[in-house]
Amino acid sequence: MSTRTTAAGPSALAVIMQRRQRSRRQILGEWIRSRTPANSWPALLGLGAFLAMIGLQQLIEPGTQRLLTAVFLFVALAQAWNIIGGYTGYASFGQVAFFGIGAYTVAVLMNNYHVSFWAAMPVAVVIGVVFAVGIGVPLLRLRGHYFAIATLGAAEGAREVINNLTPLTGGGGGITIPTFGDQAPTAYFGKPGFYLAFLVVAAASVAVATLLARSRLGFAMVAVHQDEDAAAALGINTTLVKVTAFGVSAAIVACAGAFYAFQQIEFYPTDVFDTSFTVLMVIMVVIGGSGTVLGPLVGAVGLELLAQYLRVNLGIYNQLVFGAIIVLVVVFFPQGVVNFFRDAWLTRQFSVLDNVRRYRL
Amino acid sequence: MIAPRSSVAPPILEVRNLSRRFGGLWAVRDVSFSVADRGIMGIIGPNGAGKSTLINLITGHLRPTSGQVLIDGHDVTGSRPWAIAHDRVARTFQIVKPFRGLTVRENVAIGAMHGSDRDLSVRDALATADRLLELVGIAQHAGAAPNQLSVADARRLELAKALACRPRLLLLDEVMAGLRHQEIEAAVELIHKLRDGGITIVAVEHVMKAIVSISDRILVLHQGSVLTEGPPQEVLGDQRVIEAYLGHRYVKRRST
Repeated sequence: MSTRTTAAGPSALAVIMQRRQRSRRQILGEWIRSRTPANSWPALLGLGAFLAMIGLQQLIEPGTQRLLTAVFLFVALAQAWNIIGGYTGYASFGQVAFFGIGAYTVAVLMNNYHVSFWAAMPVAVVIGVVFAVGIGVPLLRLRGHYFAIATLGAAEGAREVINNLTPLTGGGGGITIPTFGDQAPTAYFGKPGFYLAFLVVAAASVAVATLLARSRLGFAMVAVHQDEDAAAALGINTTLVKVTAFGVSAAIVACAGAFYAFQQIEFYPTDVFDTSFTVLMVIMVVIGGSGTVLGPLVGAVGLELLAQYLRVNLGIYNQLVFGAIIVLVVVFFPQGVVNFFRDAWLTRQFSVLDNVRRYRL
Repeated sequence: MIAPRSSVAPPILEVRNLSRRFGGLWAVRDVSFSVADRGIMGIIGPNGAGKSTLINLITGHLRPTSGQVLIDGHDVTGSRPWAIAHDRVARTFQIVKPFRGLTVRENVAIGAMHGSDRDLSVRDALATADRLLELVGIAQHAGAAPNQLSVADARRLELAKALACRPRLLLLDEVMAGLRHQEIEAAVELIHKLRDGGITIVAVEHVMKAIVSISDRILVLHQGSVLTEGPPQEVLGDQRVIEAYLGHRYVKRRST
């Protein structure tokens, strides 16, 4: 009975299932030919914005440069959080751990071992990723609140370790990166230098998120977010996807932390392991629109500019008003500003009140 | 006449003494069967008979308490679901599991991107998805959100996702539940088409009539164990099957 062979005849199904095997070069060539103004405008707009920000630097005063530098930092952090928290659906409350680890790796290498910043920064990224994989393998087995709390704990733990490794890190007394004369392994960038550095970090994070979103890994991340059993049934190695997303996110955060350390020159564990960094990442992504490339960008730029504006103009009430605005935005746009406007555009329903009703179940 | 063991190709799926216990309850107990290449095996049984658990044990979504699952003669017991998918075993879920936030086309493309050992680029996967949507008959909804689909179309999407993994063995967990008469006929026709295309099918069903018309063999599960297995007509005439489904009082009343 079982002597029938597996060779299927040329049925309609066999033709559909046939795989077109092509080389990477063929795929790339086809992709380039498929580019049209209609499908390239987001990339061109992004490139235009990047160049405009470089040009803008010549026109603005140092104070505004400093403000925009902070905006760039948060764009990178929000994009990083969105990769694991938005696309993959694992809301991490411990991303600041990678920020602190990145910062301390650079500071220790530059201060203790006189390593140049450009050598220390990649090491910081690698150590951040190694730490992410190390805690990711056990923690990414948890879901929802459990994962959130576990990552929060991991970040607190990482801070305490740095705090108590006094011989290496200076412990609670802080650490200083030498920036003057022969002591400096790398000359300090100054305000204009850090403006450009953080602009590049932010642009790179947006580019990574954009490419990721339309990649096989990106689709796998969304599948894992929606239903892990269904994703696994379609051949997705869910553990690998989650750990990879966590690692990519950590790499961006650690890189930002590395630049931040050099910019600050002197800092304490409480500065670079400050939970408010994590909280801001989450809020920026949630308000902007999680699971989109534009969302974290809008959230980070909008909230950081708003926070700075309130700080300058409202004095001691700025935190109160900032918090109230966040609450209102979350109430009116629970799915995030970008997601609301995209859906509203597609369905032609712009009523904010209807939106509130839809999501208040 | 029995051929020597070595010259006979192993069955595409063989289940040996498979058991799974949840606490004190044996959901599946000592189940053994094998499916011939390009056959259609129907699995029936009343609610709670262990049908879905059996599927989950075969695809690695649950680990068996004891027993073995063999694909093409090699032991895959305890393998993770994605590894089993890469052995070209695909499945559907009883409760459809579409990925919200992706279009119907993208849902199917994910299977083509990750489902087998030779994965497609995103672009090729989307093209394959379009052809599969046409095959199952929901091409007109390619750009829609999966939660906008009707029950029948959602099941077709579930099937297209599984097919995108290029399966040789397809496990269908109640693909016909909740469908109307005409939709069932369309589904039956599609399943025949898949078999003719070289896919071996194991179909868990509640809808008796449909499963009888498509299956070569039927396995009846009752309280986790195999009640009987054989060709459809033989199984349906079995007194124990009638009892399991309709209750022994019904059988007694009829016989008096």
